[in-house]
Amino acid sequence: MSTATINESELLRTALVGDVTSPVLGGSPYDVSADGVPFVPVGAGGICYTVEVGMPAAGWAADQVEPGVSIANPSDPANEALLVYACVGNRVTVRSGAAAGATGVVTGKHEAFHAYKHVLVHLDKDALDAIVPGDRLVVSACGRGMQVDGLPELSCHSLSPDLWNAWAPQRRDAGLRVRVTRALPPEVVGMGSGRVSGSTSVALQPGPADLEHLRIGDLVAIHDWDASYYTGYHEGRMTVGLVSTGDSPVLGNGAATTILLSGPTSSFEFVEDGAANLADLLGLA
Amino acid sequence: MVEIGLEAEIAHPSHSGSYTVDSYGRPIILPGMAGVVANARVGDLVFPWAADHLEPGVSAGNPNRERYHALQFLSCVGNVVRVLDGPAAGALGRVTGKHAFVLVDFPRAALDVLAPGDRLLVRAVGQGLRLLDFEDVAARSCSPTLLEGMGVAVTGDGRLRIEVTAEVPAFMMGAGLGMSSEWANCDVMFTRREVVERLGFEHVRLGDVVAMHDQDHRYGRGYRAGMCAFGVVAHGGYGGIPGHGMGVATILSGPAERFEIVRAPDANLRRYLELAD
Repeated sequence: MSTATINESELLRTALVGDVTSPVLGGSPYDVSADGVPFVPVGAGGICYTVEVGMPAAGWAADQVEPGVSIANPSDPANEALLVYACVGNRVTVRSGAAAGATGVVTGKHEAFHAYKHVLVHLDKDALDAIVPGDRLVVSACGRGMQVDGLPELSCHSLSPDLWNAWAPQRRDAGLRVRVTRALPPEVVGMGSGRVSGSTSVALQPGPADLEHLRIGDLVAIHDWDASYYTGYHEGRMTVGLVSTGDSPVLGNGAATTILLSGPTSSFEFVEDGAANLADLLGLA
Repeated sequence: MVEIGLEAEIAHPSHSGSYTVDSYGRPIILPGMAGVVANARVGDLVFPWAADHLEPGVSAGNPNRERYHALQFLSCVGNVVRVLDGPAAGALGRVTGKHAFVLVDFPRAALDVLAPGDRLLVRAVGQGLRLLDFEDVAARSCSPTLLEGMGVAVTGDGRLRIEVTAEVPAFMMGAGLGMSSEWANCDVMFTRREVVERLGFEHVRLGDVVAMHDQDHRYGRGYRAGMCAFGVVAHGGYGGIPGHGMGVATILSGPAERFEIVRAPDANLRRYLELAD
């Protein structure tokens, strides 16, 4: 068995722009928790100094807290392109403001219903302290179009060559052996079914599986779930995602998980490994 | 309970100009959403249509965002709707479900002449409805007319007896989870014929009342073991994109032990609301 190879030499590297967002609220600041208790959501949009990739997904007084810096392009069609082309592990450079010149890494995506679509970026502490909403970042996007050599039945989304090489899936007879922190049943997916796989996140809702000790950055497998084009139930297929935000008090919501890889169950063998986390794989912590 | 009048108009279908992709990986462009569907109505089978998000009858919206939200949140299944202008002016219909629009059934003669842009008035009543002896059961978008029409009885052991045509397992619940209980509906991920057949849902009809197991739809929609939700089948068609499918608009939710579920092949809005042909 050896590390599986991809069409890395064929992949384009393109520049996409995202500006640091600022949190948004509706006319009433209150959302309602699963138990019917009103709360003020905090954590999505802008800059989060407290939470970074590698930390627990649960235990924050927050709703889907986005670690690090949250960016979006102010033009909706350009933002769609940013979301579709940016891949986890891509390099990001700050282009304006006091942190100009600092570099970071894409850690995930976060789509909220009828609201924002963000790309999440990890920066080191000095850059995080210096950056402000409105500062411009450039994502050096690479990964869209990725194919695993010899396995055309697998769909890759939001997965950069850098993450692929660090994750190092192994080639075995009928497919891949990949490391994940856990494998989950299909009903764990709450909000996020029916979305475009390449640009979205799906929420891991509590209840159907034990999500204790889940960390932001964890790679997870979801059984009977397909994300070849859109996200949805499909027996006999599997999807690998990367936990990108903290969890949520809202019913049917939870940690937003970015889609990386999807294909027939028979093409995967999973090895549970607590270190299958973006922070560990890319040395971000 | 308060009854109020809400302004609405029949929405025109719209299109992104590009293909979506179905569960077989095929590019698709299919009708179904918005406007007037004259030949698929509440009471007809859900699936045998070449459609995506097939909204039977009339789809009512409002071009003003805030008014649209009021229409979407305050309309309840069973509410009376009146046509205000156009050749069908004066015709009366009933709210039969919710999706991106409020879905309304009218008599066939009206459906034949209604068109996008025609103005409607929804007489909204039902949000705030409580079952006084069942404080742990939430009613959502359920008009008093519907509750009465369903003939919900209290069993000898103190449970609500609900007739359904089908029971949905939690793993099939898709787009609509995580949203407000009163907003639109939740899709049951029937986008492939073989899954419809394997789970035995070919007989289900638009407007059927169905049970959804391990679903809590009181304050939003999501998985919760031991809870149960009920809804009406609002939209259908075979052709949906993955993660979507048969839409079910929430009407009731509470602890599973508070309900006695009874299978009844005619648990349908056409009977419960005495919809005119």
